[in-house]
Amino acid sequence: MLTDASILFQIAGIGIIVALIHTVLKQMGKEEIAQFATLVGFIIVLVIVINGLSDLFQQIKSVFLFQG
Amino acid sequence: MKWIGALLFIGTTTWIGFEWSNKLNNRPKHIRQLKNALQILEAEILYSQLPLQEAFTTIAKQIPQPTKSFFHTLGLSMGKQNPDLYSLWEEQVDHLMHLSCLSRNEQEILKQFGRTLGQHDFDQQQKHIQLTVSHLDRELEDARDNQTRYSKMAKSLGILCGIFIVLLLI
Repeated sequence: MLTDASILFQIAGIGIIVALIHTVLKQMGKEEIAQFATLVGFIIVLVIVINGLSDLFQQIKSVFLFQG
Repeated sequence: MKWIGALLFIGTTTWIGFEWSNKLNNRPKHIRQLKNALQILEAEILYSQLPLQEAFTTIAKQIPQPTKSFFHTLGLSMGKQNPDLYSLWEEQVDHLMHLSCLSRNEQEILKQFGRTLGQHDFDQQQKHIQLTVSHLDRELEDARDNQTRYSKMAKSLGILCGIFIVLLLI
């Protein structure tokens, strides 16, 4: 059911931008802030993915248990 | 509509980043101006033996903005009303902080210096000016260090954060 692939592009974009921020901060010698930025990016992507997964489980439940 | 908003947002964060890096770039310049002004003040006190008010107006003629307006208004307000110099000095230092990119350290150094201004004889005054100049030298080194390190980072971080948040919201 890949009608809408925009979420994939969104996650890819977030990944690229977070990687860039990490590189810039690391070059300027702010290692710990760079790590923190990566962690925040990771958590945000995790939240998006978990949202998608919960949608998937709702779908499965509605298919097999006949409720929404 | 969505895209206009996104562009506006990226523009704003880019602008903030540039403003930040501008601030980092201007701080050494402003500290150098202050140092020049203090050296002129020293010369005026030691060699021309001008009173402070006239020394301030002479400095204001030789120094670029924003330090110029600092000494200019100081000289003017000393002519108009004459409470103690220190309260005037303190007020003008606070005003200078808004106009320039100086940090709290410089503010403290200037206030310390204002407390000694006009209280001592030539020798003591010269020593105090030397002391302030050496304090400013230390700050200048610090400011230069920060400039080379962070001014580029500030620019790119502004743009990147803008794109990041826009990606989150779209």
